[in-house]
Order: sequence, then C-alpha cells, then structure tokens
Amino acid sequence: MTAFAELAEQIGNATAVEIMGAGTQRGIGGAVDASKPIVEVRAPTGIVSLDPADMTVRVLAGTPVGVLSAALAEVGQECPLDPENSAATVGGVLACGCSGIRRIRYGPIRDRVLEVRFITGGGRLVRGGGPTVKNVSGYDFPRLMVGSHGTLGMLVEVVLKTQPIANKSSWYTSELAPDLLRTSIYRPACIAWNGKMTYVLLEGHEIDVLSQASELSLEPAQPPPHPIGEHRGRISIDPTRIGSLAKSLGDIKVPWLAEIGVGTMHVATNNAAELHDARLVAHGEGGWLLREAGAPLLDPFGAVPSNREVMGRIRDAFDPLGKLNPGRLPFARFTP
Amino acid sequence: MGRGRVRAEPLELILYQSDAGTARGQASVVCFPESIDDLSFAIRAANRHCVSFVARGSGTGLAGGATPVANSLVIVMTRMNRILEVDPVGRVAWVEPGVLNLDLTRSVRHLGLHYAPDPSSQQACTIGGNVGTNAGGPHCLSAGVTSAHVLAADVVLGNGDIVRLGGLEPDAIGYDLRGCFVGSEGTMGIAGSIAVRLTPDPPETRTLLADFTSVDAAAETVSGIIAEGIVPAALEMMDAPITRLVEEFVGAGYPLDAEAVLLIEVTGLIGGVDAEVDAIRRVALERGARQVKVAITEQDRMLLWKGRKSAFGAIAKVAPDYYLHDIVVPRTRLVEVLKRVYEIADEQNLLVMNVFHAGDGNLHPLFVFDGSEPGIWERVYAAGDGIIQACLDAGGVLSGEHGIGLEKRDYMSLAYSAEDLDAQARLRDAFDPDGFANPEKILPTGSRCGEMKRAPEGTWV
Amino acid sequence: MTILGLNPDELAGCVGCGLCLPHCPTYRVTGLESASPRGRINAMRAVEGGAPISSEFTAILEACIQCRGCETACPSSVQYGHMAETAMVAIATRRPITRRVFDRILYRHVLPKHYVLLLGTWALVVAQRLHIVPKRFGVPPISTSSLRRSLSSDAFPTVFLYTGCVMDAWQRDVHRAAMKVMRAMGASVGLPGHGGSCCGALHVHAGRRSDAQRLAVAVVASMPGEIPVVVDSAGCGAALKDYGRLLGTPEAIAFSARVRDFTEWVVETGLPKMLSSNKTVVVQDPCHLRHVQHAETSVRTALSASYRLLETDDDALCCGAGGIYSITHPEIARQVRDRKVAAIRAAAGSDEVTVASANPGCAMFLSAAGLDVRHPAELLAAVIEEDNE
Ligand SMILES: Cc1cc2nc3c(=O)[nH]c(=O)nc-3n(C[C@H](O)[C@H](O)[C@@H](O)COP(=O)(O)OP(=O)(O)OC[C@H]3O[C@@H](n4cnc5c(N)ncnc54)[C@H](O)[C@@H]3O)c2cc1C
Ligand SMILES: Cc1cc2nc3c(=O)[nH]c(=O)nc-3n(C[C@H](O)[C@H](O)[C@H](O)COP(=O)(O)OP(=O)(O)OC[C@H]3O[C@@H](n4cnc5c(N)ncnc54)[C@H](O)[C@@H]3O)c2cc1C
Ligand code: SF4
Ligand code: SF4
Repeated sequence: MTAFAELAEQIGNATAVEIMGAGTQRGIGGAVDASKPIVEVRAPTGIVSLDPADMTVRVLAGTPVGVLSAALAEVGQECPLDPENSAATVGGVLACGCSGIRRIRYGPIRDRVLEVRFITGGGRLVRGGGPTVKNVSGYDFPRLMVGSHGTLGMLVEVVLKTQPIANKSSWYTSELAPDLLRTSIYRPACIAWNGKMTYVLLEGHEIDVLSQASELSLEPAQPPPHPIGEHRGRISIDPTRIGSLAKSLGDIKVPWLAEIGVGTMHVATNNAAELHDARLVAHGEGGWLLREAGAPLLDPFGAVPSNREVMGRIRDAFDPLGKLNPGRLPFARFTP
Repeated sequence: MGRGRVRAEPLELILYQSDAGTARGQASVVCFPESIDDLSFAIRAANRHCVSFVARGSGTGLAGGATPVANSLVIVMTRMNRILEVDPVGRVAWVEPGVLNLDLTRSVRHLGLHYAPDPSSQQACTIGGNVGTNAGGPHCLSAGVTSAHVLAADVVLGNGDIVRLGGLEPDAIGYDLRGCFVGSEGTMGIAGSIAVRLTPDPPETRTLLADFTSVDAAAETVSGIIAEGIVPAALEMMDAPITRLVEEFVGAGYPLDAEAVLLIEVTGLIGGVDAEVDAIRRVALERGARQVKVAITEQDRMLLWKGRKSAFGAIAKVAPDYYLHDIVVPRTRLVEVLKRVYEIADEQNLLVMNVFHAGDGNLHPLFVFDGSEPGIWERVYAAGDGIIQACLDAGGVLSGEHGIGLEKRDYMSLAYSAEDLDAQARLRDAFDPDGFANPEKILPTGSRCGEMKRAPEGTWV
Repeated sequence: MTILGLNPDELAGCVGCGLCLPHCPTYRVTGLESASPRGRINAMRAVEGGAPISSEFTAILEACIQCRGCETACPSSVQYGHMAETAMVAIATRRPITRRVFDRILYRHVLPKHYVLLLGTWALVVAQRLHIVPKRFGVPPISTSSLRRSLSSDAFPTVFLYTGCVMDAWQRDVHRAAMKVMRAMGASVGLPGHGGSCCGALHVHAGRRSDAQRLAVAVVASMPGEIPVVVDSAGCGAALKDYGRLLGTPEAIAFSARVRDFTEWVVETGLPKMLSSNKTVVVQDPCHLRHVQHAETSVRTALSASYRLLETDDDALCCGAGGIYSITHPEIARQVRDRKVAAIRAAAGSDEVTVASANPGCAMFLSAAGLDVRHPAELLAAVIEEDNE
C-alpha cells in the first residue's frame, strides 16, 4: 500500500486526528479538542520532482521548508514561503496560510500553490488544481486549502511555483515616511516600519538595487527586528489604515512591526492582556488579530467571519464528522 | 425591479442563448439589475419560482459559461457598470461587475496605474466575467491571472444572501472563499461589486520580436528563456500561417517567411531590463533565431502588439468557422505537444493555426474550416479529443483561461478521478445548496458519487 | 432569395465574438444585447431562420444609429452597414400604410426638393424666433443672414463642391468657408447642376433603396467630367463614395472614385499657407468620416498645422446625431451625446475648447449641448493667409 493510501485509511478509521507538521506553530488556531482520542498524523517528506526549466516543484507536504529551499537554491531558485523557522513544514506553512515578509513583491503564498493532494476527513485522497502555472479547470482547491488550518484535509503533496533567486537582495533603512517611500520606489520586496524607522528590502538586478538605493539615499542595514515577547499576534488590516492603527497601538504601548502596502502588523508582548488590547484596537480599525503564540486564554481568531455559514458547509463537505484538527477553527462548523 | 429591467420578448431571448462559444441554450427571462439589491431581489424571485439563473457579462466567454440551460433566468450585469471608488495610494479600485476591463485601465491611466490582467478581449469583456472565468492575458505571465488581482467581492449567493468574500486586509479569517469564487463561472453566486488591485506602470518596457525558421526552435527558446531564470512580462508565440495572415492584415512588420515568431516583453527597472533583453537575445540566437528586433518606443511596441492582438480577427477571414482550444502544458513539454498538435491536424486533414501564451505553456490551437462541408464537424471534434488527450498525457490541464463551462464539462472526468469530482461537487453545493446558480456547468453530470442532492426543477439531469 | 435578402455568407461572417460591443453607442448606453451589433446581426439571423419580421425586430434595427463604429471594430470585417441597409429595405416595404405615406412625403417630396427644404428652414427660423421648437430636437439657431445670400459658382471649375440638401439649407456658411479655402488654394470651385441636391443617404438608411438610387443617378449627372468632387459633409461624402456599390454602373464607380472629403482634398492638394492660432481644438470624428470614409487622419493633418489638437479617449464613439436619429430616438441619442460631451470635456480639461466636426448633423446636435462646434473648413478659413484680399 502506498504511503498516501495508508494515511487515508488511518484518517478514515480515526475518530479524531491532529495533523502534525514540525510543531513550530501549533499555537495558531484553537487548541485541538482533547476530549476525543486523538491520532497524530504526519505528512510524508521528500521532494518528488524539481523541474527548474518549468519553475515548478512537486514536494511532499511534510518536507521542511529549509530542505526545500536548499534543493531549490542548488538550481538558483526559491519559493518565497519564508517562515520564521525553516524547520516548519511545507504543509504546515500552507495550512496556517501566513505569507512571508516579501509578500508585497512576490504575492501571498496562496498564489504559489498550483496543485494539491489531500486526504479528507472521510479518508479520501483528493487532487485539485494542476501542475501547470495557469489553470482554470474546476474549482480552486489549492487556494481553499491554504489557510484552512488542516480542517478540510491533510495536505500530502503539493506543486509550487518557484522563481529565480534575485541577483541582489539587500535591506536598507530610510528616513522617508513609509507611504512616501512606497510611492517613490518600484516593486520593493518589503517595506517595514516600526514607528521609528522605515526598512526596505530591495531585490532584483544589482544595478537597479544600487541605483534605487542611492537615488533615495537609503542606508544599508540589517533586517528589521520583529517585536519580541512570548505572546505574539499577527494583525491583518486594510493597509491604508496602518497609520492610524500604529498610533492606537502606540497609545497602549504594544510594540509592532508593519508591512507597508500589505497590511500585516506583527505584535508581541510579555503580557497576555496586552495582546487582547491590541486585538480590540485592531477591531476598532476594521482589522483582526491572529494569535500566533502564547496567550492561551485568548480566542485564536477573536472574531467570527460574516460568512461562517458557507464555511461551515464547506467543512461539512470535506470533514462531515469534524475529526480533522477538532477545535482548531472553532467557527467552521455548520449546525443546521 | 423597475420597468424595463426585466424583459422576455421572443427575439430578445434568442439573443441571450449563447456567449461567444458554440453551445446554445434557452433563456426564459432576461433581467438587468442596476444595484446589488436588484441582483439579490432577482435571485430571490428566481428561487421563488424555482428557476435557476445564470450571470452574463459581455458574453465574450468561449466555454458556454454564460449560456442558459434549463430555461434559466439570464441576469445581465451590463448596467452595473460604475467604477465606485479608486484609491491611488492603496492601489485598489472597487468596481461594479459590468465595468469593462479596458475601461478600468483607462480610468486610472492618469494615475500611472493599470489593471494587470489583459485578456485579448479586454476591450469588450467585463471585470465580473473575468472573475467568473479567472481570465488571463499576455501580461499575466509575470503579473498573475485574475485571482491574484481580486482582493474582495460582495457576492449574492444562490439563495439571494449578500456576503463579502475576502477583504482589503491581507488575510481574511477562515477559508479563502474569495479564492474559491474566482473562476467558479457563476456557479457559486454572482459578484455584485469587486475590489481589484491596481498595478503601477513599469518604468521601462522593451518588446522583442524574434523570428525562427522552425517551430521547434521557437518553442525551445521559450523553455530556454524560462530555464535561464527569466520570467518576462509576456512571452507569446505565433506560427507561420497566423503570422502571414496577421501581417497582411495589420502590417506590423512580422517576417513573412518565418516558421514562427516570438513576441516577448520585459518590464522593470533599466538594469534588469537590459540584462534580460541581452540574455533573451542570446538564448534565441543560440537556438537558431534569425533575427531579434527590439522595439523601445511606445509606437513601435504598439505596432508589434497590434499584430498579436488582431490575430484572432484575422483568422476569421480565412474560413467562416473556427474552433479554438485552450490547454496548458508544463513549459518543458511545449515542443512535443506542439508537434503532436500539428500531427493531429494532419491526421484529420484540418488547417490549424497557433497563436498563444507560450510563456505559460498555454496553447490555443485553432482550427479554421468551413462548417458546411459534410462531415467536417466530426473531424474537428475528433481533433479536439486528440489534442486534449495529448495535453493530459503531457501532464497538462484542460483550460488555462477560458474555463470549463459547458464545452469542456465532459472532459473533466479524463482529468480528474471520481473522488476529485465528487469533492468539487461538494464544494459547489456548500456555496449553493439548492443548485440554482448556473446549473450544469463545469462538472459533468453524475459527479456527486451517487448522492445527488435536489435538482432544480426543469433541469435535465 | 432569403427573407431579408441578405447574403448568407455575409451573415455567417459574424462569429459572435462581441469585440464590437463597446464600439456601439447604443449598446454602451443601454447595455442591451438587442441594441448591439452582434444582437442586431443575430436578430437578422433569427428572421432569416424563420422568425417573424415583428415590431420587435423593426424596433431593434431602427434603434441602430448606423454609425458603423462596429465595422471598424470588427476583426472579422463583418459588413454590418450593408446588412442593416438591406434588412431595412425589407422592413420599409412592410410598414403600416400611414407610416408609408409619411415616409413617402418626407423622402420623396421634402429632402430631394431644395426649395421645399429651404422653405421649411425659413419656417423653422420663424418658429425658433417664436420659441416653439422643442429643445430636445437639438436644432441650433439658424442664421438668417446666411440664408439670404446664395453661393456662386466659378467659371471653368477645377473642382466641384457638393452642397447637399440639409447642409446647404442649414449651414451655408460652411460652404462659404470651404470655398474660401479652396479658392485660396488656387482652385476654381463649381457647384452641382440641376438635380444634384440630395445625396440619398437618409433614404438608404431608412431602407428606401430605390429612391436613393434615383437620387444618386441625378447627383452623378449634376457633376459631370473628371474633376474631383469635394464634399464638406461627412454623411453626404460617405454616400457619394458608395454610389459605385449602390448603382453598380461603371459611371457610378468612376464617379465615386472622384469623391473626396474636404480635408482629404486639402491634404492631397497640399496645405495652404496658414497662420497659427492659439485655439485648442478637440476633433470629433463624424462616424461617416471615420468608420465609412476612413478619412480621420486628414482632418488632423490639416488642422494640426495651426491648432493645438486634443483627442478624446472614447474610441471615437458616435455622438448620437445620426441623421434624423436624434429626432426619432431622442432619449438614446441624448444619452449617447452625454457620453460624447463628457469625453470632450475630459479631453479639454480646464481649457476653453472648440470642437471640430465635419458633419452638419453632428455639429448641430453637439452645439445644442452647449459646445462651440466648428466645421474644419471654418477653422481653416479663419487662419488662412490671403494674398489677394
Ligand atoms: C514569530 C513568528 C513569525 C512568523 N512569521 C512567519 C512568516 O513571516 N511567514 C510564514 O510563512 N510564517 C510565519 N510564521 C508561521 C510559521 O512559521 C508557519 O506558518 C508554520 O509554522 C507552520 O509549520 P509547521 O510545520 O511547524 O506546522 P505545525 O506548527 O506543526 O502546524 C501548524 C498547523 O498546520 C497544520 N498542518 C501541519 N501540517 C499539515 C498538513 N500536511 N496538512 C494540513 N494541515 C497541516 C497543523 O495541524 C496546524 O494546525 C511565523 C511564526 C512565528 C512564531
Ligand atoms: C476574441 C476573444 C479573445 C479572448 N481572449 C481571452 C484571453 O486572452 N484570456 C482569457 O482569459 N479569455 C479570453 N477570452 C474569453 C473571454 O473574453 C473571457 O472569458 C472573459 O473573462 C469573459 O468575460 P465576459 O464579460 O464576456 O463574461 P461572460 O462571457 O458573459 O461570462 C463568463 C462567465 O462568467 C460568469 N459571470 C459573468 N459575470 C459574473 C459575475 N458578475 N459574477 C460571477 N460570475 C459572472 C458567467 O456566468 C460565465 O460563466 C477571449 C474571448 C474572445 C471572444
Ligand atoms: S460583428 Fe464582428 S466584432 Fe461583432 S460579434 Fe460579429 S464578428 Fe465579432
Ligand atoms: S452601426 Fe453603430 S449603432 Fe448600429 S450596430 Fe453598428 S455601432 Fe451600433
């Protein structure tokens, strides 16, 4: 029996399963409901095929991102999943749906996934999408799986779109206000701002990186430090409202780092209550805060999506018995 | 809905029986909502009468997506054509679905912005239709197709409820419903307003024309460019018959004796652009290009593009009927699949022309023929089957941008297993449990592993 | 013979791609498939396939402005205009009797008879003074001083200026300006002889093809010889250039080959010496100049020597005037015009703007919306350097 079929059988027969990646990020989403007998399952690891001339890679979902990156680097390519911890698995990163810091240039990770194979709660192996860079045949399972927190199926294999590694990549700091910097620069890889300093990551041809840096008087620098603290969150907000949110976060003294133009704000604190306050402030600006780590008493998402009914029905369609990561996406249950 | 917004004159209904594809259906009523509330009202009314409905933009779709089956209500989005809001700083525009793709780009041009997905039909097709089919275009090679440019949509579901999918914030809570909706061909509901990303115009643009004495050399150049680590803004290929036709039609300066030409565009900052132009020139010459022309001025570039963009029309002059395919293969398999396309055309004794998005591996084999010739359609269909088989054999997919609609529905089971299709059917049902939204499209009948839900009245199952 | 008399091959030429839709003014303002070129062609197809020539079908075709913007846009070169004209013939013969009598009077006894039109125009002048002409008709104030003076022909003409019916009655100043320019360029200008007063364009559009043919024969006869025939009305010019096809005779074909739009002739002959002007001009392309005569570049060449020219960003969509369309379909025409006026204002920005229009219908319709509209001949006449006056 193949590895996939074994996993499918295992999941099909279980009452409840927790899908394990490298375990770097189990704090994202609700805690798995411990009242049921939980079977832990892990996706297989390994690179199935790497096709540099097609700029795609087929990889098993349990593969650590670091392993994938190393293999791609050998052919001068990369896939900008960019997790903090490179032990994180491809499946885990995709399941959490958190895009990396270079999103403004390379897009969110949901745009990277071409094909997925996953095992549903009923123990069926399903394939969606296709290995080509363009595809509109049927519904978009790859995007559906990204950010589904392992509640619709266990990813076992994916095809990702890769890209050449830029010939130059450098961090700089700038005196310019972040919005002004954004409009005066062409396709930066990241503009980060923490209220004191604007950081910019330039990638591309060396001539372009250096000439943009000198035109705008940028200073070479280390990457921006992320806020430190055991309770961490990620705020998603309309990027045009970063400024006012930054002010409100300053008022409650929670340190933050904003990705300009994207609308992601990273916050961290050593006081769990402050993470809750940061969430309230984010709600006030129309955003929401994902608990990434710590603050165990804090609701993982802090809000219920307006279209939860549809989400509940989707959950029912793929995992009718609610056995996949039970409790992780608390609102995605449909009770008719 | 007000007077004049619902119509059912007999001749009028005939005009809505198909899109730009070949499938024909029959509409029962046509309506023209002017707001999202009208839209919701129309859908609820259809629900009450147990009538299914289908959204229609400009009807330029090629897969029968907007073709009404089962006496559907046709909901025409052309009167919802306002650009609601443009935020030049956030680079986002909220538009109604009936806004034409090119009109949107025009309206933001003075801000140094554009809407990136540029289907060849961009002058005529609507943003709503683009969302429906997840449309692509020559410049989607590096910019990405529609899905990468749609941030949010207010959608009316099959039961008339209005929901927001996605949002202006980078990630929405829970599943990516926005991602599911884009490309769902109106089977998950109808978008009533859409937030799209606007893209800054590139500082530098070069358009290259490379000509070859063999199709293989051109196709190898495509793979060569990608393998070199270059993703041009656009990378299009035309074979000999189409190049000659187009040249006669527009005089873009294409060589008449070439077996194939590549039209390549690179954009960005000057350093990268120059380096890429040099590398592309080298790759092309190494693989046997006779000449690589580089157009720099807007005027010269436009002329080269004019040829490409008129290709479809020029074809229509050769013979009254055509059948356009839309398949995607891994870019490394381009040479062999293209060869197979020509063989299949030969076997069926048909004229085939190829003008396509080579950089994506997105082939558009186009059969040109006279439909009144006895037995011709059988040959055309047989060739189509052959091409799809060749595509799937090479690890390709059924459609790159036109969608499945009615025309490719029955090929879906060649590409996906019964379990895959069952999962797709379940996803669709989660959005539209009663099956009112554009029934019969995308999924072949019987996809739902024997657990068929209720069918809307009047559906032929 | 098919029901509408259409050539099946011509009808099959439309592949239904829809690329013409945004170039159709009536589709743009209504969003209706039935008000689009593709819809109208499919409607003709349906009738050829057995559907009745119903009032619905008639209304669909009559709502077409016949601007032929769709022809320029169509990549498959579908000859929409020709098909629509043919279908209109079939419609005209099936009209109710009262309408046929009205049409007969208008097309047979008013338009072709110069004196009747002039008389009518005088009546209109009086009516305007009395404020009893509804605004929505879009008829501009008519200058009485212009009407009182008639035009005079040169001896031994080297070129004819075709004066037409409506144009001569309502915009005689334009002819005067054209003649001034032509004479300054060294030409001797002849006017058409008896019978050459109506080109028949409106008749063709209304499906009265045999009336149009009769008028065409008379026009050809009124300007004998081989010298160029210059036309300063885009609509008439398009009609005259189409006589070859309308009549199908060698004389008509030869005649059509002599026809030039005013600015075409000016550019071909070589631009006269002109002073430069600080006026900003937005060029409006009358449909029959751009989509039928394809002469839109010569207007620009001629004017750009003296004026700062601006373009509208609307694919040169029709202005809505369309012969008598603005009177038969005032609501659609007004909406089409609103789009045009907005496009012109957007092109001009904050500048004071003059609109150049080579067609009397368009000019009148646009001035009624408050724009300063001039014929290119008037604009040229204003900047011409005269040696001998
Ligand atoms: C400070 C900090 C900053 C971060 N910044 C970034 C960033 O910039 N970019 C970024 O991409 N991520 C970032 N992350 C998130 C994190 O690195 C990844 O998202 C990742 O952790 C998940 O990988 P894992 O293998 O460790 O998964 P785990 O922690 O083991 O699991 C995470 C979730 O995914 C599910 N899962 C695991 N494998 C599968 C599978 N095969 N199929 C279905 N579901 C599965 C699990 O059930 C669980 O719900 C950050 C995290 C921290 C702590
Ligand atoms: C000459 C020509 C060239 C073309 N070139 C390309 C190309 O380069 N790339 C490409 O991708 N396509 C191309 N197409 C196909 C077509 O233009 C696209 O599929 C386009 O997106 C259709 O838009 P439309 O407004 O005409 O939609 P329609 O054809 O009216 O509808 C398309 C689908 O979308 C659904 N839909 C419409 N509006 C909505 C809405 N508001 N919400 C939800 N669903 C909706 C419909 O139900 C239908 O399933 C081409 C077509 C032609 C005729
Ligand atoms: S008239 Fe021409 S452009 Fe219009 S639908 Fe037919 S073929 Fe297409
Ligand atoms: S002639 Fe003008 S109004 Fe008539 S269908 Fe063509 S574009 Fe539309």
